[in-house]
This record gives sequence, structure tokens and C-alpha cells, in this order.
Amino acid sequence: MYRSGGSGPRNRGSILGVLKATELDARSKLPAEIMVTILNYLPVADQLRCARVSHRLREMVYDDTRWVSRLKSMGCWDEREARQRFEESVRRRREAAAAAAAANQANDGKKNAVASSTIFDATVEQQRRQRPASEMRDGFETMTIGTSDPAEDPAAYLDVFKRVKSIRGGARQEYGKIYKALAPFYFDLAQAKSHTDPIVFKAFTDPEQQAQMLANLHKFAGSDWSEGWAVRDAKLTAMMNIFEAAVLREFEQGYEFWDVDGRMHRYAHVLHTLNGAKTGIELFIQKHPLFNDRDMVHNPMDCLNQAFTDDVTLEPSRRFFEQVLLKVNEQASILERIFPDPAVVFWGLTEKVAEDIIAEYTTPMFDEAHERSILSYLKAISGIFEQTMRFFQSLTPPKGPGEEGEIAKRAKQLTLKVFEPHLDLYLQEELDFFTKQAEIEVSQWEKKLSEQDSSLESFYMSNINRSAEKNDFLSSFKKVIMMPVTVLPNFPIGSPFATTKPASSPAVTANGSAVLTPQSSRPQTPGLGNEIQGRGSSPMPGAKAPTDELAAKAAIMASKLEGIKSLFSIEVALDLVHKAKSSLGRAAVLIPLGGQVGGEAKEQCANIFIALVRILGQRHVKLGFDMAVDHLSQYNPRDVSDHDQKGVAPLVMFIELVNVGDLISQMIEVFYEQQLAAPKIADKNDFLDPSGLAKKKFEQMLDESVAAGLNKGIDVLMDEVEYLQGTLQQPTDYNPTPRIPVDDGNHRMSHRATLGSMAELDIGPTPTARRIVDLVRSHTNMLIGTTEKSMLDVFNGEVGQRLFTAICKHLKRQRVSTDGAVKLIADMNLYSDYVRSLRNQDVLPYFAALRELSQIYLIDPGHAKEMATVIADGDRFGGVFRAEEVYEYAQRRADWYQVRRSVERAMYGMDCLVM
Amino acid sequence: MAEAKPASQKIWLVSNDNATMEVDRAVVERSMLLKNMLEDLGGADVSPENPIPIPNVNEAVLRKVVEWCEHHRNDPVAAPDDESDARKKTTDIEEWDQKFMQVDQEMLFEIILASNFLDIKPLLDVGCKTVANMIKGKSPEEIRKTFNITNDFSAEEEEQIRRENEWAEDR
Repeated sequence: MYRSGGSGPRNRGSILGVLKATELDARSKLPAEIMVTILNYLPVADQLRCARVSHRLREMVYDDTRWVSRLKSMGCWDEREARQRFEESVRRRREAAAAAAAANQANDGKKNAVASSTIFDATVEQQRRQRPASEMRDGFETMTIGTSDPAEDPAAYLDVFKRVKSIRGGARQEYGKIYKALAPFYFDLAQAKSHTDPIVFKAFTDPEQQAQMLANLHKFAGSDWSEGWAVRDAKLTAMMNIFEAAVLREFEQGYEFWDVDGRMHRYAHVLHTLNGAKTGIELFIQKHPLFNDRDMVHNPMDCLNQAFTDDVTLEPSRRFFEQVLLKVNEQASILERIFPDPAVVFWGLTEKVAEDIIAEYTTPMFDEAHERSILSYLKAISGIFEQTMRFFQSLTPPKGPGEEGEIAKRAKQLTLKVFEPHLDLYLQEELDFFTKQAEIEVSQWEKKLSEQDSSLESFYMSNINRSAEKNDFLSSFKKVIMMPVTVLPNFPIGSPFATTKPASSPAVTANGSAVLTPQSSRPQTPGLGNEIQGRGSSPMPGAKAPTDELAAKAAIMASKLEGIKSLFSIEVALDLVHKAKSSLGRAAVLIPLGGQVGGEAKEQCANIFIALVRILGQRHVKLGFDMAVDHLSQYNPRDVSDHDQKGVAPLVMFIELVNVGDLISQMIEVFYEQQLAAPKIADKNDFLDPSGLAKKKFEQMLDESVAAGLNKGIDVLMDEVEYLQGTLQQPTDYNPTPRIPVDDGNHRMSHRATLGSMAELDIGPTPTARRIVDLVRSHTNMLIGTTEKSMLDVFNGEVGQRLFTAICKHLKRQRVSTDGAVKLIADMNLYSDYVRSLRNQDVLPYFAALRELSQIYLIDPGHAKEMATVIADGDRFGGVFRAEEVYEYAQRRADWYQVRRSVERAMYGMDCLVM
Repeated sequence: MAEAKPASQKIWLVSNDNATMEVDRAVVERSMLLKNMLEDLGGADVSPENPIPIPNVNEAVLRKVVEWCEHHRNDPVAAPDDESDARKKTTDIEEWDQKFMQVDQEMLFEIILASNFLDIKPLLDVGCKTVANMIKGKSPEEIRKTFNITNDFSAEEEEQIRRENEWAEDR
């Protein structure tokens, strides 16, 4: 449409024809979007001249977005302000319209005039284009006032940007104000030959004003994008550089004379107006006397030299930081006097202090410490880190725009900067160190164990004397052991062993004897020699006062520890936990840094925990359990000479281990909760969290070991039971020689007055049964509360079952007389009572059946028929015994051969009848 | 073959006055319109007998446009829709383009229209800049003359606009 195909021939026609043709096409010769593109390439002045060409071009030129984008390029268009204004004006217009409508009705004749004038009042700037010509001129009168000489009203030029408003539809006018004020200077400057030429420097004489104008022009240059802008911009920048250099020289001179409130103050402000005073700040910091201060020279090696091996004293470094802090804070007030925004300068200065003074101080110290000993290195890093952090946090920056968290944030940044080069190495070393220490500890202990392996057996024997008090002991033991762990977090990093002292010191005072000396000294020096020596000098410290020391529970624990240690040591575990705690404490200091380093520190903390659990679990506890199980399986009751105690030595040992293992597991749990979960190192809800997994694995390992051990333990226990049954049970127990006194050394009843009285007196269970019940009970009781309830149930059920089998087997080997039946019933009652105390429903029927079964021995030989009824009565035994089995048991009657015939007759005779 | 060496592949264009010309595909692809079209069609069935018609452009202008494309065939393709400040800032017209644009005004406008139609952004820009340079420093009357625009303002209106924008006038 805009281009007819036949334009060519027409061009060759008459001049009039050409004119006509082009006239016709003129409006649409180039489509609007191309006209707009062309306008975009024009300088401002030409654009506005184009506006005078035709209505169509004016529309294009006056288009508001064109001018908004110019304002935006100078950073003085605020979209929010514009929207607010717009909404405001819409609202006002609506009100005005309402008012006008009201006026219209009242005053019909003048309605147009009134209505429009109200609207214009409300939206003066916005409705410009629709205004009548005369009003438009008025609108600009206010602006033309400013065209006076700069000397008279410099503010109009200097503050031009501050007066800009963001008005939709008014962008061209706003831009016009700026352009009017600055363009002449700008184009003049662009053409200037030397730095003395530009009018800017003639019109404004104050350096402050000159700086402001230059800054304005620089901003203005942002909106100049017509051809040749690059050259103009370069020129302006060059001018600014010359000016800046000159000002900087003045500032420097002031600096040399330390003319704080005079030249320094003045020129710092000039530089600030010009471009934020970057160069001035740089110069100030670069030349700051702080960095040449002799007082600031400290020898970082003091921290190492004044301390023992493997240690650092943080006193010299504290003094160092104090002094630096003092000096830096002193600067704050001076900076306030010099610079318009002292906070920026202050932080710049601090950064340099961190780089030049603190890093210079710390780096050689860390390097040296690293060379001397890893432990002191670790301590130094963590200690100095905290000091540095505190140093930065206690800075007092000059008041500034910074908000509350500013210092903390900066402190983190700066500390990170100082420590960045060390952190990777540190975290690695920390983990390595812990792992190594833990390994050493465990292997030392293992070595010691193997050395003592030969004496192990006898040692067990001597230490289980007090197993009767086990329950009591265990509860107290637990209390004492748990205490230091629960209070752990409150203790300072440097003294991880301080926590054990309160636990053992009351024991020392309570006891006051030499018994506890090795115990109380051990925590301070966890060296092995001490332990061996302690054991060598008093192999059984608790043996001196076996039972009355129960009151002093800690003392019992001490003596008990000696024994338990043989397979794995709670002490070693405690040591490891303490070591992990101190390592973790050191590394955790880094976590608040956040970001990558914080994350790494967190990860490493988790790794330390994992290492702890791994070493403790795999190397220590597992090994101990394996050995205990090994011992258990090798146990042969016939090889053991002394059966007087109430426990099976290896089983007691093992159950003790289970207890200790449980304690260790609880320790780990508490440790995890407090050291990892509480400070958010590990996420408890994240089932993939490596430390959580490690903990679970440890618990699982423990459970497995316990289960395996208990399995073996039941075998051993039953072996022991059978052994006891085999060796202790006298044939006369259930089959007393009639009318002859029972002659049994263990029996309290050595005399029998009359036959009748014998039955009365002799109804107690046999010592064998007592022993067996005591034995089994002592072992099952030991386990209570130590391991999982479900596992305990299984264990108890198994124990009950096996006990039942053992009793049955035993019973089949006995001869039971009617007199002896009383005893047997008593025995069975004892067993049954005991089993009931296990609270295991599954095994109860078995023992109930046993009790019933024992009744058959009581039946007088004369009542064979009834006996047969009893034997055949399956319900009586709750289905546990079948008639054939009961019959088998009945054969164990001492008078079986006498009653057999009648019983069988009664049984089978009846059967025959039925059949 | 077409797929193997698309750069040297030939494309045939025909102007609205039936002049057919053979052009390298790489050159043709300076035009976004033709590039997209060729990509859509595959371009395989374009032949001297079946050229692509360019309906709005005559032979003289089309040859001129092709000449420009030949010269700029290896220019990097500008990122589309780069509307940042950097693009707003006018860059100078390079020398070859300046010479290229030394044509009569009729032809200049035709080139601009053709490049607009064919979507050859750099050529359009050069054309617009050239026109802008023609306008620069001219009075409104001169601009009207150059572009054959009828003055639809009254003298009063025109004076009003001048005063309104007095701030931009050079002193």
C-alpha cells in the first residue's frame, strides 16, 4: 500500500507529476516504525525540530517512553513514584469529574470551560499534550526562570537532578529541565581543547561546585546516545580525571600535615561529590600511618614459645588484638571528621588491617605451629580464629547507613578472608589428628590387652564376686558415667578432661584410700603406663572393701571399671568421646561463618563424629564383643573348678559388656544430640545424613553383637544349668531314703524328728533348684534396661524355653518317691515363680505344666487308677505334654514297678473298653 | 549435497520485475525472512526455474541489497532483541557502508523498505542512520522538503512547539 508498483515510470514524468506522486506518498513513504528508528538516531535538538514538521512526527517525538528511557539512563526515573503520581492523578481526576458533573447541572452554559480547567488543575503535568497552546507556554515559564547566570543561582544547576520528578506523560518536560541546565556545559566541554577552556570551570569556581557539576555532567552523559557520544564521553572522563588528580593532590598535602578538619575534610568531600571519593579513600588507606606503626609489631612466635609443647598460649595474641582494636577504633572518629561516609572508609581500612597486620601476624604463627606440632596448630587456629572474630565484632565503626547486622556480617567476611588460606588444611588436619589419636588410643589399649591375655581368666574370676550387687551398681554406674557427657557442652574447649574430675573426686574424698588413686589420676593423663601400673600395684582395688563401699558408688564404679576394661573399656570410649568433643569444638567455631567454609566445617564435624563412631564401634566395641563371644563359646562348665559364684564368668563378663556397650551407645546418642543435632551440624530428620547413618550403623552393630552374644550366652547358661543339675542334685533329693535322715552337706535339714514333721519341714525347694534359679535370675536381671526390650523378651523367652527343656531332661534322669515329690513340687514352684517374674507369656504354660506334672509323683501308689486318669488327661498339661510323655515321666516314680501294672491296666484297660 | 554444503548452496531470487539472480545461500541468509523460510522449506527445491519471488522489490534495489549482503556475508549475527542501553548508543557508520549509501534518496528509501521487508536488521540500521544524518541540523522546513512532507501545522502551532522545546535549541 505504501509503495505502488508503478512508481518508476511516474518518476520520469513531469516535475509536477513527481511532486504529486511523492506528495501522495509522503505521509506513508516510510512506515512509522522506520521513522521512529530514524528519530532514535537523532540528537535531542534535532528530534525536537522534527516535532515541528508535522503532527505525525510530533506524536512520535513526544512519545513519553522515548523520554522516560533517557531519564532511566541517568538513573532518575522512579517507576514507583510515577505510578503513585499516576494513581493519585486518576483519583483526583475522578473526583474532579464528579464535581464537574455536579457543576454542569447547575451551570449549563459554561460547562466545558469549568470541567476542563478542573481537570487540568489536577493533572497539570500529565495532560500536557491535550492542553491549549496558551497554557502550555505558562507551564514552561517556571522553567525559563532558571536560565539566569549560574553565578546568581548555582543551585539550579548543581541540584538539577534532585529536582527531577517521575511523572508519566511528563518525562519530556523533566528531561528538558535537565537538558537545559547541563547540555550547554556538556557540549562545550566536549569541544574544549584544554582543561582550562570549559565554561564549567569558569562559571563555577568552588571545587565543591565544580565537582558537583562534573558529577552531574557525567550522569547526563549517560543519556547521550546520538552519534559521537563515545568521543564526548571520553572527553568528559578525561576532564574528570584531571580534576580528580588536582583535588587528590590537595588532599594528599592536607594528609601530610594531618590537617584533618581543614583540607582533608574539604577535599574528601569534594572527591565524594565527584565520584564517591574512591581514589581518595584508596590513598588514605594506602598511606595510613597505622601500617608503619612500630607499636604494632608483635612477635607471633610468643604464643608458641611461651607455651609447653603441644600447646599454645593465646595471651600474647590477645594483647596483640587488643592493641590493634584500640588503634583501629581510634580511627573511627577521625574518619568521621574527614569523610562524608566514614563507614565505607572504615571498612576499607579494616580490610587492609586484616590483610596487612592480622594476616601477617597469624600466617607465620600457623606455619610455625604446624611445623612444631599438629595439636598446637589445631589449638592455635581455633583459638586465634575466635579472637579474630571477636576482634572484628568489637570494632566500632562510625555511624553510617549500615544496619544492625552490618558488623556481624563484615566480621564474618573479614575473618574468612584472614583464615581462608588455612582452613582447608586445618579441617583436614583436625580430622586426621582425631582419627590418628583415636586409633592410637584403641591400639594401645589392644596391645595392653593382648599382653595381659594370659592373666585374663583369673582376672575374670576375681572380679565377679560382687555380681549380686550388679543391678544397684549398674544404675549408679550409669549415673556417674552419664553425668560428664551431659554436662560436656558447658566446658571450655581446652580442658576436655576436666569433666571427669568432678565424677571421680567425690569418690576420692569419700574413700580417701589408695584404692582410687589410679582412677583419679587417669583422667588427667590418659597414658597407658599409668593404667598398667595402677593395675599392677593394686590389681583389684575394690577387693579391699567389697560390699560396704556400695554407698560410695563412684568407688564401686572405679573398681568395676578395672574388670570390664578387659574386653573393651568405657574409659577408652569416654576418652575418645572427649577427644572428638574437643576436635569438634574447635572445628565448630568455623560453622557460623556460613557459606562454603561453614559447609565444609560442618561436613568435617560430621566426619569427626563418623570417625569417632567408626573407631569406637568397629575397632573397639565390636572387637570386645567378638572376644567376649569367643570366650563364651569356649566355656566349658566342667573345666571350671569353682562353681560357688552365682554367675557364669564369661557370661557375666559378656552381660557386663552389654551394659557397657549400652552405656557407650547412650553416650554416643547424647553426644550426637548435643554436639551435632543441637548446633544443626547434622539434621536428625534427614535419613541420609552421614552422621545419622553412622550412628545407626553403630547401634545396629551393637545390637547384632549383643544378639550374637546372647545366643551364645544362652547356650552357656544352659550348659551351666545342666552342669549344676548333674553335679549338685543328690539322688536322695527327690527320693529320700525312707525313715533315714537325709544326709546332705548342703541341706539344712540334717535331722528328722518324725515322719509327719518331715513332710512339713522339708517342703522347701532343693538347693540345686535354688542355685539354678539364682544363677539364671542373676543373669537375666543384669540385662534389664540394657538392651532393647524386644530383644530382652526374645532372650527371656529363650531362656525360659531352654530352662524348661533342661529341667525336663533332668527330671527324666531322676527317681522320685512320693516323699520326694513334695520337694519336686517345691522346686517346680520355684522355677515357675521365677519364670513368672520374666513376664513372658509364652513360657508360662510350660512351667504350669511342669507343676502339674510333678503332681503325679505325689499320688499314692494305691491310687493307680487316678494316676492313670491324670496321665491320660491332656488338658491338665495345657497341651504341653502328651499322654505318652507324661507316661514316660511317670516311669520316673521310685515305685514305678509296683504301680506300673495297675496304672497300665487302668490306662489301656480303659482304652480297650473304649475300643 | 544441499545438506552437506549449505554455505555454497545457490539460491535463486526473482524481483517483482522478473529479474532472476543467483545468490549464495549464506548471502541470502543475511535476510532473516529468507533464512527462516529456507529453514522451513529446506530450500532444496529452489532452482533457476523455481526461484523465490521477492514481490515488493525491483531489480535495481534487489541487486543493491544483495551487494550489501555479499559484503557483510561473514558478519557475526547480532543477538536478537538486544534492547539494552548498549544498543541504544549510536555507533558510527562504517566507511564501506557510507559509500554504499551514497545513492539518491529514492533508492535510499527503497533500500530501507526492502531491508525492512526482508528483515535485514543491520542494513536497516545503516539506512536509518544515513537518513538521520540527512536530517541532522536541518530546519523543519528543510526536513519537510527533504521528505516531501506537507506542513499540517498552522504558523501559530509551529511557533508554539518551538517555544515549548526552546531548551533544546543550540545557543
